[in-house]
Amino acid sequence: MSLPRSATSLALTSPWTITLAAFWVFPVAYSLYMGFTDYRLLAHGHAWVGWDNYRELFADPAFLSALRNTFIFVLGTIPLTTVLALGMALLVDRPFQGRAFFRSAFFLPSITSMVVIALIFMNLYQRGGYVGLLAELVGLPVPANGFLYDNGTALFAIMAMDVWMSVGYYMLIFLAGLQAVPHELYEAAEINGASAWRRFRSITLPLLRPVALFVIVINSIKSFQVFVEIFVMTRGKFDTMTCVYFVYENGLTTAFRVGYASAAAYVLLVIIALFSVAQFALMRRRGPAW
Amino acid sequence: MVGSHSRAHAVARYALLVPLLVLMAFPLLWMVRVAFMPTGTSLALGLGRLSSITLTNFYDLFVQANLGRALLNSVVVGILVTAGNIFFCFMAAYGLARYRNLGNRLLFASVVLVLMIPAHVVIIPLYVLCQKAGLYDSYSALILPWLVSPIGIFLVKQYIESIPPAMEEAARVDGAGEFRIIFRVVMPLCKPALAVLAIQVFFTNWNSFLFPFILTSSDTLRTLPVALALYQGHQAIDWQHLMAGSTLAVAPVLAVFLLMQRQIVSGITAGAIKQ
Repeated sequence: MSLPRSATSLALTSPWTITLAAFWVFPVAYSLYMGFTDYRLLAHGHAWVGWDNYRELFADPAFLSALRNTFIFVLGTIPLTTVLALGMALLVDRPFQGRAFFRSAFFLPSITSMVVIALIFMNLYQRGGYVGLLAELVGLPVPANGFLYDNGTALFAIMAMDVWMSVGYYMLIFLAGLQAVPHELYEAAEINGASAWRRFRSITLPLLRPVALFVIVINSIKSFQVFVEIFVMTRGKFDTMTCVYFVYENGLTTAFRVGYASAAAYVLLVIIALFSVAQFALMRRRGPAW
Repeated sequence: MVGSHSRAHAVARYALLVPLLVLMAFPLLWMVRVAFMPTGTSLALGLGRLSSITLTNFYDLFVQANLGRALLNSVVVGILVTAGNIFFCFMAAYGLARYRNLGNRLLFASVVLVLMIPAHVVIIPLYVLCQKAGLYDSYSALILPWLVSPIGIFLVKQYIESIPPAMEEAARVDGAGEFRIIFRVVMPLCKPALAVLAIQVFFTNWNSFLFPFILTSSDTLRTLPVALALYQGHQAIDWQHLMAGSTLAVAPVLAVFLLMQRQIVSGITAGAIKQ
């Protein structure tokens, strides 16, 4: 009647095993292989070319500018998002009138479709849109064709949108971290006459370090892969080409150079891995004062 | 003294919160406003003319732009992928939680590893694979690769490990078969975790653009985000219709969020804090 234990175990895990093999292990390995070939999807056959793709990438001005833009995007948004998210979490941590409402309102953009957010901001950023009106109000210059059709502002406009969208999500993670801080610590500090700032520096910040590390690491992994907003808003034009957009454009449009695009994807993978490891190491080593 | 101090505190708090609220809420409110604006209205004056409200944008979307098909695709694909995840993630999670052996320990390591792999690496190979395997531009490409997710296995496994195995043993003593125990005894106990999983999977899928976009090309296979991103107005950007479609895409997310806020929040933070 009943199957042996090992057979039951295999049967239960088989959907994952199949998915893992077919849609993760094989593609990741196949992509590594393709990166060393001159494979074009529409051409017949392909040959092993060694490191040629990688050499070509680092001489390709489009890829170098994609790398630069991706780094600007990551290094520009993450400190801002992290600090704002922590600040917002502190603002809505303790009970007060309307707390749940504020929390939800701040969080809502992060569960909205990226395509929808990008479309809304295309409207806000266009010539005569609300962001332009706001900028004029405080005396800032507004590009003649709107913020997205200008080499100098497009990437930064998309970055600002990204911060706006994701800050509520990270606020929520900081809130969960704040809940884990034992309340007695604050009471003891208060009795000893520690100021609010001192309590924040000496209790909250050190205890939130692991949460902050988590926030920074997952946000970097996500931000290095920025694509959807670039596709919807500028199609990589106006100096907004990023690494994943480069992969898409070279591999899945016009020339279908899947080998070259795979190599580019692997360069980004290595960068993300190194970045994550470095962040862990840095956060571990530094003392309690951040 | 204490009273005035805390009142000053409250005033300062709201002085920060209210502008922040305006900043965070305005874009989505503006989307809804434009969605109900008659086409051809000047957008810059939109807020001043609240009286002009119309439903024709939504009507046009279904009748002329065939957005109904995209909506249907999103719903059908979302339901199938969610059902698959509830079932398969539960099965895998149960196996990994209760059958401890070397193979399963390695398999769980693979779950964590895939959880961390940046998905951009598989864009190209998954496209090539789907082309070669005849999945490209079909419902299968929208569904098959996503039927079981590492985050789902991770969440449910943690939940199962918090359930004492006594119940399963009692059922086993009563002579119940293994699969009966798994699906009739344990699965109902996992309802809270499976609800969190279902919400998360459905909306991740509902909002997903990248893979549905690269793995299909037919108009008839577009999901809602793909249809919106590729929607072209006749001449200039057709904001009223775009925002009406966007409102349709956001409405279910908003509704479920308001109804099930606690599950959504716990699903998001559970994975985060335990690591």
